Amino acid sequence: MSGLDFPTDANVLVGLGRADDAGVYRVSDELALIQTVDFFTPVVDDPYWFGQIAAANALSDVYAMGGVPKTALNLVAFPGTSMDLGVLRQIIQGGIDKLREAGVALIGGHSVEDNEIKYGLAVTGYVHPAQIRTKTGLRPGDRLVLTKPLGTGIVNTAIKAGLANSTTAEQVTSIMAALNRTAAEVMSDFRVHACTDITGFGFVGHLAEMVAGTDIGAQIDASRIPLLPAALEFAAMGLIPAGAYKNRSFREDMVQIAPGVDRAVADVLHDPQTSGGLLIGVEPSDAGPLVQALRARGIDAAEVIGQASNHSPGRIIIAQGEF
Amino acid sequence: MKEIDCRGMACPSPVLQTRAAVEHEGVTAIQVVVDNEAAQQNVQRYLESRGYRTTLDVAGSEYRITGAASTAGKAHPEPGPAPTHRSSESDRQKIMVLCASDRIGLGDDALGRKLMVNFIKTLKEMGPDLWRLVFVNNGVKLTIDGAPAIEELQVYEKEGLEILVCGTCLDHFALLDRKKVGTTTNMLDIVTAMQLADKVISL
Repeated sequence: MSGLDFPTDANVLVGLGRADDAGVYRVSDELALIQTVDFFTPVVDDPYWFGQIAAANALSDVYAMGGVPKTALNLVAFPGTSMDLGVLRQIIQGGIDKLREAGVALIGGHSVEDNEIKYGLAVTGYVHPAQIRTKTGLRPGDRLVLTKPLGTGIVNTAIKAGLANSTTAEQVTSIMAALNRTAAEVMSDFRVHACTDITGFGFVGHLAEMVAGTDIGAQIDASRIPLLPAALEFAAMGLIPAGAYKNRSFREDMVQIAPGVDRAVADVLHDPQTSGGLLIGVEPSDAGPLVQALRARGIDAAEVIGQASNHSPGRIIIAQGEF
Repeated sequence: MKEIDCRGMACPSPVLQTRAAVEHEGVTAIQVVVDNEAAQQNVQRYLESRGYRTTLDVAGSEYRITGAASTAGKAHPEPGPAPTHRSSESDRQKIMVLCASDRIGLGDDALGRKLMVNFIKTLKEMGPDLWRLVFVNNGVKLTIDGAPAIEELQVYEKEGLEILVCGTCLDHFALLDRKKVGTTTNMLDIVTAMQLADKVISL
């Protein structure tokens, strides 16, 4: 929306000037509000799980900013005249259960009649102004840590095509419904310089937002990327959402992928994610302890997958092996 | 030859249609027409994963993928050979030129410098095959303010040539602030570019 003049004020700490995961507004020297909104059409058939995933996804932007979500408002679009309201009830129940798990109060909402189901939430959280984790801020040498496996878009495409088995479907559903809360809590104990969450632009797209136009680049070791094994199999079969190809061509100029990187792995790196994990840039000596602490709290997928460098500003280099 | 028209279909439908023909009918030669690049890539990936050799013809927004089972009568699940692209885009070679010095050859340095300037000015004759121009060691001195062919390099960059300049080298000569063309890069970038290039010309 370039060319539009957005209203702002001096207390806007993170706004549309350099768009981030969420907006941040300074209330006092000790307190800033984080605000974010996200909603989408069903990504899974089960309404209760869809509700959970939509809530985990909406809350994630607050966690990615280093904050603690406090309140939420429901956003609902539903074909109430043609569909059983019991379906909507289950969606909302999924959302409520996820909010309760996150310790967030639901204080309102709004619904409209629509031919297509959509659900999501507007979420408000707290953060100390000195603890805000923006997308940019990577320093040379920082290690990059990823907290959830990639490949949910590809696996969801395979589910839609009727080619994924129930174990795979359950696995991907629980990954999408998992909160980024624990990851955010753990990272607050470490020297984290930048953070974002992986969603629709895929791993490469969101990493690109961390380095584009800065004097920092990223080097990624493709062999260390946590990913869903089934996603590799389905990618090789061509069950790749169109969004993955869009993500790739959008950032092509910034990205160099070594020929040693398997094509299916490269596909997964561009795969649009629903409620993906956090991508954290951390002081090099803190990277190992951060990954250990994440795993100790049950985030088994956590892995150091690359590093920031000032020798390739604004570029992403993906190779197989050590960075 | 089995022909499937998947125009107007979004992913994953074209793959599922192709899969039905391959797995249920066991066809050995198949042609699939799609109208978007995502479907084209996906169908090609699918056929290759089932052991078909694929070729691609692009006409406007119509992508025609032809697949031939590599073992007559029976497709197998091993990944097939790399696809043959016939679209004009992929006909181009990727030539990478690596300049490790600010002059060409040994002997007379003044002559060597003049030759390098002439080389850079003439490089455009390679046309679109010229893919990347990489400067390392003393070569980075060609990318700083006041360098003899800096304007030509800036024009090349504006026209879309990717120019990479070794960051370690700029740092070594304390020239980081004086670079006037190209993107600063590192050895991993250069090494992977060499691997990706069809031809590397080293000076």
